[in-house]
Amino acid sequence: MSIIILLIIFSLILAVGFLIAFIWSVRTNQMEDDYTPSVRILFDNELIEKKDKQEHTNTDI
Amino acid sequence: MTIEKFSYDNRIVKNFAFATILWGIVGMLVGLIAALQLTNPAYNLAPYLSFGRVRPLHTNAVIFAFVGNGIFMGLYYSLQRLCKARMFSDLLSKIHFWGWQFIIVLAACTLPLGITSGKEYAELEWPIDILIALVWVIFAINMFGTIIKRRERHLYVAIWFYIATVVTVAVLHIVNSIELPVSLIKSYPIYAGVQDALVQWWYGHNAVAFFLTTPYLGLMYYFVPKAANRPVYSYKLSIIHFWALIFLYIWAGPHHLLYTSLPDWAQSLGIVFSIMLIAPSWGGMINGLLTLRGAWDRVREDIVLKFMVVAITAYGMATFEGPMLSLKSVNAISHFTDWTIAHVHIGGLGWNGMLTFGILYYLIPRLFGTQLWSKKLANFHFWISTLGILFYAIPMYWAGFTQSLMWKEFTADGILKYPNFLETVVQIVPMYKLRAFGGFLFLSGAIVMAYNLIKTIRSGNLLPDEAAEAPALSSLEIEHAGKSHWHRWIERRPVQMLLYSLVLILIGGLVEIVPMLTIKSNIPTIASVKPYTPLELQGRDIYIREGCYTCHSQMIRPFRSETERYGEYSKAGEFVYDHPFQWGSKRTGPDLAREGGKYPDSWHYNHMLDPTTMSPGSLMPAYEFLLNKNLDISSTPAKIRVMQKLGVPYPENYDAKANDDLIKQANKISENLKKEGVVVRSDKEIIAIIAYLQRLGKDIKAEKTNQ
Amino acid sequence: MSIKKEPDVKELLSCYHCGNDCDNSPIHFDEKIFCCEGCSLVYDILKENNLCTYYNFNNSPGTSQKKSTYKEQFAYLDDEKIKNKLVRFTNGKITSITFYLPQIHCSSCIWLLENLNRINPAIIKSLVNFNRKEATLTYIEEKVSLRQLVEMLSMIGYEPSINLNDSEEKKNSGDKKTTAYKIGIAGFCFGNIMLFSFPEYFSSGSYTGDGFKGVFSYLNFALSLPVFFYCSSQFFVSAANSLKQKFLNIDVPIALGILVMFLRSSYEIISGTGAGYMDTMAGLVFFMLIGRAFQNKTYETISFERDYKSFFPISVMIKKNNNETSIPVSDLEIGNRIIIRNEELIPADSVLIKGDANIDYSFVTGESMPVLVWEGQLIYAGGKQLGTSLELEVVKNVSQSYLTQLWNSSEYKNKNEESSFRQLVNRISHYFTIALIAIALASLGWWVSQNDLAKGLNAFTAVLIIACPCALAISSPFTLGNILRSFGRNKFYLKNYSVVEKLAKVDSIVFDKTGTLTKTNSSQISFTGKILNPEEKKMVRSLVHHSSHPLSRMLDEKLNDVSAIKSENYYEIPGKGIQANVFEVPIKIGSAEFVGVKTTPDTSSVKIYVSFDSKIRGYFSINNEYRQGIEILVGKLKQSGYDLTVLSGDHDGEKNNLETIFGREVSTHFNQTPADKLRFIQALQAQNKNVLMIGDGLNDAGALKQSDVGITISDNINNFSPACDGILNASSFDSLPGILKISEASHRIILGSFAIALLYNIVGLFFAVSGTLSPIIAAILMPISAVTIISFTTGLSNWYAQRKL
Repeated sequence: MSIIILLIIFSLILAVGFLIAFIWSVRTNQMEDDYTPSVRILFDNELIEKKDKQEHTNTDI
Repeated sequence: MTIEKFSYDNRIVKNFAFATILWGIVGMLVGLIAALQLTNPAYNLAPYLSFGRVRPLHTNAVIFAFVGNGIFMGLYYSLQRLCKARMFSDLLSKIHFWGWQFIIVLAACTLPLGITSGKEYAELEWPIDILIALVWVIFAINMFGTIIKRRERHLYVAIWFYIATVVTVAVLHIVNSIELPVSLIKSYPIYAGVQDALVQWWYGHNAVAFFLTTPYLGLMYYFVPKAANRPVYSYKLSIIHFWALIFLYIWAGPHHLLYTSLPDWAQSLGIVFSIMLIAPSWGGMINGLLTLRGAWDRVREDIVLKFMVVAITAYGMATFEGPMLSLKSVNAISHFTDWTIAHVHIGGLGWNGMLTFGILYYLIPRLFGTQLWSKKLANFHFWISTLGILFYAIPMYWAGFTQSLMWKEFTADGILKYPNFLETVVQIVPMYKLRAFGGFLFLSGAIVMAYNLIKTIRSGNLLPDEAAEAPALSSLEIEHAGKSHWHRWIERRPVQMLLYSLVLILIGGLVEIVPMLTIKSNIPTIASVKPYTPLELQGRDIYIREGCYTCHSQMIRPFRSETERYGEYSKAGEFVYDHPFQWGSKRTGPDLAREGGKYPDSWHYNHMLDPTTMSPGSLMPAYEFLLNKNLDISSTPAKIRVMQKLGVPYPENYDAKANDDLIKQANKISENLKKEGVVVRSDKEIIAIIAYLQRLGKDIKAEKTNQ
Repeated sequence: MSIKKEPDVKELLSCYHCGNDCDNSPIHFDEKIFCCEGCSLVYDILKENNLCTYYNFNNSPGTSQKKSTYKEQFAYLDDEKIKNKLVRFTNGKITSITFYLPQIHCSSCIWLLENLNRINPAIIKSLVNFNRKEATLTYIEEKVSLRQLVEMLSMIGYEPSINLNDSEEKKNSGDKKTTAYKIGIAGFCFGNIMLFSFPEYFSSGSYTGDGFKGVFSYLNFALSLPVFFYCSSQFFVSAANSLKQKFLNIDVPIALGILVMFLRSSYEIISGTGAGYMDTMAGLVFFMLIGRAFQNKTYETISFERDYKSFFPISVMIKKNNNETSIPVSDLEIGNRIIIRNEELIPADSVLIKGDANIDYSFVTGESMPVLVWEGQLIYAGGKQLGTSLELEVVKNVSQSYLTQLWNSSEYKNKNEESSFRQLVNRISHYFTIALIAIALASLGWWVSQNDLAKGLNAFTAVLIIACPCALAISSPFTLGNILRSFGRNKFYLKNYSVVEKLAKVDSIVFDKTGTLTKTNSSQISFTGKILNPEEKKMVRSLVHHSSHPLSRMLDEKLNDVSAIKSENYYEIPGKGIQANVFEVPIKIGSAEFVGVKTTPDTSSVKIYVSFDSKIRGYFSINNEYRQGIEILVGKLKQSGYDLTVLSGDHDGEKNNLETIFGREVSTHFNQTPADKLRFIQALQAQNKNVLMIGDGLNDAGALKQSDVGITISDNINNFSPACDGILNASSFDSLPGILKISEASHRIILGSFAIALLYNIVGLFFAVSGTLSPIIAAILMPISAVTIISFTTGLSNWYAQRKL
């Protein structure tokens, strides 16, 4: 079953990769603000000239 | 550093959207065909459209063509907007799109031709595998390129889900597809038996996890808030959701192999991690649903939200059922039955299907700067597809229970109540009919959607490049976070991470594989287990080509009900020469692990000619063509050589003599058949397949007689 | 973007911008209605810049613009010294600065503030942090000045609150990150170690033989290294410290357990005699780190450690040979001539040179009624001028001012904050540890006596491993953490955990009257004398309408049901009163002597006399208004058997009202100086009472500090008095009894969880001493105990909060 060792190596590499990603995200304050981004994505940054283009009906947030 | 004007690439999104709709309908249509074939074998158009070839076509079409394109559609739309940047390179986008469609077309051609590697959800042969890897890497470069040149500092949680998808799928695909080519259209995986099985399901499960789940979670976290125009219920929770899921998913694979010859601890591992998965999954579901809190009135009107709500609910059901199915006691009942089919379709139709529909209804009007053509039709689509899911799932659950219980039922005096497998099949055929109906409803829903969207598109016109503006993300913000150089360096981490892990994986892979090829696998070998004879090997390849594994398992679990019915339960040692393993995952027909010697050769001959003569009411397609098709023995030497490379102990230079032995054995069988009153030339494929079937499980029996 | 629904009839009365009622004089502009010029101005600006999307996310998202501002308000921002203190980063061309904008309250705010560059292209980027109510602006230096930036912000209704504290760097974000890393790594290692321990757990199966366990246990060893050396470091540090103090705190047995686990496991792995307990160790560290993180999270309330500077203006206008320049307050010197405008705080004790001084000392004394000061009189730092601008001469340095003295005086020095729960935990753990080691040695001894040294060592280590009091350690942080959160939900913010248990012990409560029992700014105005008919009301209003004196403004508000009419030869004598002719009738409004009342007026409340045609008509008396629900509150507290006292800074005019509320038995004391209040508390404590002082203004600060628990009542938690253990938002004043009840409950909860924790330890110990502790038992017991404790404490404390609040 040496295959298990192989799988473990792959999985560990992946896991470590994600661990690095995690550390990176903490380090670069990715997780500093845990609310505003969720609101920010709701804003289509429409341009002034054609501002009411993307508008579609819905009520308030 | 100033405000930059740029534009979003909508054309690529449109292309993927169209592909999604097209392949969605195709895939579901093929699914419907397969479903019908299970209600009446007459629907099998052998050889090209027999169930064994149609079913892989269906799975590949819906997973990689429909959902695949769906992912890319949503991802290319949301990523650009989340990063406030156009895709890294339009050229790469194009290559990605056309490359992926080309792969799909190749799959659609090869699978009906029986060109398959015989591993579920990874049936495509090696040249296509390589192509997939290439296109995927291009996609990855395009995506990470976009992330690097983004103008929004914060990576929204959806992007994290995308990253996980891209990296993991690449690894899974590569690991599972390591195979040695015999010819352009034939290869053997380097792993055998148990090992192959473990890799296959490590892949198989994670394909579900990282192809059908994580990317769609990303889409959920973008499109649900957008459609509802309110922020996700708890952004914090979504972040936790991501990291928890990532660290748990990768190991849930083995639960597909409970009670098999996989080491106990590996099975338990699969179980535990599957159970643990409930937490993050439900975290995600609740987060998705609560996003709509206080907006339920809108859900009633807004068609997009309707689809999404059903999708999220289905996700919740599937992710609860999954861990339950991985409990040994439940699995003992569910495995090999239609329960599994029901489970995956709750996920497939409910979660992936409905969310994709929702996203389409959201995107198309926006891409074409218009309103949806008909809300009525959309509503109709919603209800009919919801109904379709119910009509699909409920009968399948029913069928699963019924059949499983019948398999396990003993009479008072301890013999099987239904010794004839066929009885248990005939019992559930009505369920199969209902299922087909459900599928039909779902498909027609999709067609209605297509019509509705085409009308919508006609009413507007695509704005291919949507202008936008945002300040560049300069190093400045990073600097006053301090340690500028260090940060700027680490900023590029995601892409480096990808490259590193890929390189490492290749190296690690080689390091591991080379010795594995040389040293003999450390499976406890069973003395009496011998390599297949050339004829059996050819027969086995026919068995694989015809996708027999889609209905017949070769794995007897250690239950009395199974040993009674099929014989001695399967041992790890039996499969050491199986490249690939053929354990299967579904028993529409009986298990074949001990088939050898059960019936005379002539029985098999007639059974292949017309199964219903031997077993009335059988759902198995007729394989008449095997009787007339000549067996191509030119490939034998090459196959032997590859097998030797993979460590199968054929004698030195056996490849030269192989065909002589093959012909000898073939003649023996054809004479044998003559005795039983069947006249057939020895160079027909039927001979080979009979040879293989008669070999199954023989070695173990030999072991018994020895002792 | 969403399209704004047409406002329905009901909405029509409320301001399109801020949603306030446009009472009698709505302003019509662009078919919309605004409550004031300010609001319509903001709307106009946004409209000009295509920013009306602002109004699409929420109905009337703006904040009222009635607050008066003036041109020179932000002049000080041109001062380089100040600027450099405030900006986060600058390279001469591009500058970035973070503002605290208390007005941020909805998604519209985020949208508007992140689209500022449409109003002024010089602003390249603006990023909002909603939770912190902060906006970080990056702008081009030469195109716009910091001052213009701030003025633009306040023009659209987001006036930054700038004080010197903001310029100081945010702390603890560093160690917050460290905790995050530690949790991440510990979690990662824990997961994988568990993974590789599976063969050990389930090796019963068909499959052994091929050297997985070897490989796996070495992997585990590798994975455990970061956990042991990095993640768990803090426990060893704290243990070491406590040992230095010859005391065994909770971290001692923990550190001991971790150490033993690591050593024994390493030995087993290397010697190949077993799989070790690395999984347990990693899990333990992981859970305890989560406990710590939770603790830190709940500490993150408003920073209490503001000092008086943060309430002062950053800079002040000084007058040097007839030209005004602004200098930082810190540079203020004795003899400086300073200009104080309407609504500005006086930074240092100084003498009034010229101007009509109406000083509102509410910040210092809590007494909201402005005080008149004559030229040449002393004005104390902390007072706020209402009305026209003043010229003052500084007589004391900021650091020597009355306010500052009060602040720095001895009784403000923090009292011992050591949480008695922590003490309890440590007391327990002290004996716990001793017992632990005793048991360990005992079992070792016993097995040795059976000449089974191996088993002896096994038992010895096993005891130390299994008894590692992880659950014990996390029980109190989680309980108190949850309680603090539920308090927070009820707008009650505590300085730290220890306050909760001090609250639990409280037996007597002392209230400050002004600003605590009474509302700070709203007052009841009643007229004594022959009732005024509408005509006369009109006349009165026509006078007060033109005066900027706070009392006049109050009257004007009060009389806004009639409209002002034209008045002739209007004349105002500052600090005395107003007189004018309406319909040829000479009217006087003002102080007794001004109107010509002989009787010595009782001082219980401020009185404004009115005379028509020099005939005294009567007087408006202005009384403080008590907060709603005081009676009920007091009733509840009496039931619960607290003895109550009221201290008041001002005269006893309110005595009767108070007694009607509190009843006679409650003692009330008036004309209390800050020092008196302080002494009173000390007196109570001398009778070893646990005193809860509830006050507001800085004059209570001493008492608040001295009392066992000092709580500040505040209408706006952003400008509370510093010297307290907690702030209670005035709106949830009535939840005080509930708060006290919960605090008591918390004690029980914690003891309960201790019991559970110990139970688990005993179970574990049974296995341990018998030398039959298998890694899997340890691995199961540890997380289960941790999880039970967490759910027990969380569940129960939230349940209490539900019931009591």
